Amino acid sequence: MPAHKQLNLTLRVWRQPDAGSRGEFRDYKLYSVSPEMSFLEMLDVLNEQLLEEGEEPVAFDHDCREGICGTCGVVINGQPHGPMQGTTTCQLHMRNFEDGDLIVIEPWRASAFPVVRDLVVNRSAFDRIIQAGGYVSVRTGQAPDGNAILVPSPDQAGAMDAAACIGCGACVAACKNASAMLFTAAKVSHLAQLPQGEPERKQRALQMIATHDEEGFGACTNTYECEAACPAEISVSHIARLNREYSKAMLTARQ
Amino acid sequence: MSWVTAALRSSVGKKFVMGITGLFLCGFLVIHLAGNLLLYIGDGTVYNEYAHKLHSNPILLFVAEVILFAGFLIHIYLAIVTNRENRAARGVRYAVKKTKREDRTVNLFGWTPDTTMFASGAVILGFLVVHLSDFKFGDIVHGERIAGLEPADKARILMSDAIRAGIYLVGSIFVGIHVSHGFWSAFQSLGVNHPKYNDWIRKVGIAFAIIVAVGFGSFFVWGISGGEVDPAVEEAPVGSSSVLETAPPRPDQYTQK
Ligand code: HEM
Ligand code: FES
Repeated sequence: MPAHKQLNLTLRVWRQPDAGSRGEFRDYKLYSVSPEMSFLEMLDVLNEQLLEEGEEPVAFDHDCREGICGTCGVVINGQPHGPMQGTTTCQLHMRNFEDGDLIVIEPWRASAFPVVRDLVVNRSAFDRIIQAGGYVSVRTGQAPDGNAILVPSPDQAGAMDAAACIGCGACVAACKNASAMLFTAAKVSHLAQLPQGEPERKQRALQMIATHDEEGFGACTNTYECEAACPAEISVSHIARLNREYSKAMLTARQ
Repeated sequence: MSWVTAALRSSVGKKFVMGITGLFLCGFLVIHLAGNLLLYIGDGTVYNEYAHKLHSNPILLFVAEVILFAGFLIHIYLAIVTNRENRAARGVRYAVKKTKREDRTVNLFGWTPDTTMFASGAVILGFLVVHLSDFKFGDIVHGERIAGLEPADKARILMSDAIRAGIYLVGSIFVGIHVSHGFWSAFQSLGVNHPKYNDWIRKVGIAFAIIVAVGFGSFFVWGISGGEVDPAVEEAPVGSSSVLETAPPRPDQYTQK
């Protein structure tokens, strides 16, 4: 694609002043967009244009803009984080779009993720799932000896695969049931594969699933849309491990 | 809440039971299909013998039927409950929704077996109502009295009607579609996911779906060809003797065991 190519786009953006309002789509024309821009930079340009026109800029979440923090994320033409695999919205580039495109931009849709404003949703439900068991308890004091607890290399690699989750919520956005099973599974599977996770293993699976359900996320029906939408490419095999962890804990936990 | 209720109410627990009952129903399909295929042996006496043997121990049959009905009821109940919860979990629906998966082979305008499980299940349920009213509680079918007939002849008369046979064909195909996702999905729900076995589970699932759809669906061909009031029927597949060439049969025309 020649570098000088410029895009003229129509953006259909979800606008909602606050959680209590109804919200609606509004169309904006954006001219001469560089294909080198990231999707978020394109939204920055849109917002500058809106400010000049005296309209409220579009609110969207972002922080690192390099695909590691998990803060950004919108549904682009029906796909969480847009058309690329293993990519966050901030790492999506405008070269993936064509001149004249209509781009529909929506927030994550889930009852457990209420819209705060425009494209920003409240993802604190994820924090509460983590608080329910996505941790290991350690003593304070001096830094422990890094080699005191040996971890076999395959276990370490398996745990790291799961730990790659950045908590963006694309799995929930992609799932037809708005289930957060991939997110929950990633944390349960991460700690279940490490000796450090052992003491709280059963309670972790039970309490994280209980909180997941209380928050109003759906159940998994194995359509694997989550895996395809996940920017960290977390595998659904972690959901199977979560299912095993949960049934084992249910049958054997002392309470 | 006891731990059992807590487990059964949780999202993971419900899927676990869904998987167990689903696999149990798959097992039933195997036995049911094997029994039905006996219709293709000889003139139907083998099938009749099997049917009579099945009914010869009423207590055992009753227990088996109760377990089977329970399997269906639990499966359907959980299907309805989870479907409702899952829809509520989305809340506001997307204006545009597009998959990021490109590996689905069975895809009809975006309809795929895994995303239409409730719909295919509902079709199966509708079919089951017709099926049970025919074979279990049926008395008179398109003008003919079938109660008291030999099982093979009952089947022949029922399936000779093109519309009825068509309903059975549709039912068979939808059961195939349902299990093409359901079979391997149940393993994932039960926590069985391992690179060593995943490929096998998928392949067995697809083979099972095809066997079920073609196996049960074959009775459509058997029915409409065997039901023809036509001399050519003699050349029809084994088992389709021309009962219907004569007037509606009376029970005493057949050799009773
Ligand atoms: C011969 C009859 C049937 C068989 C063999 C069968 C088999 C299965 C299997 C193996 C599963 C997978 C379970 C899992 O993913 O854990 C399943 C799921 C399901 N079935 Fe059935 N089923 C049958 C009838 C029905 C009926 C009558 C309904 C009624 C609505 C139904 C609705 C569902 C639903 C909603 C699911 C869950 C879908 C999902 O996880 O995406 N099924 N079934
Ligand atoms: S802004 Fe940090 S991942 Fe996109």
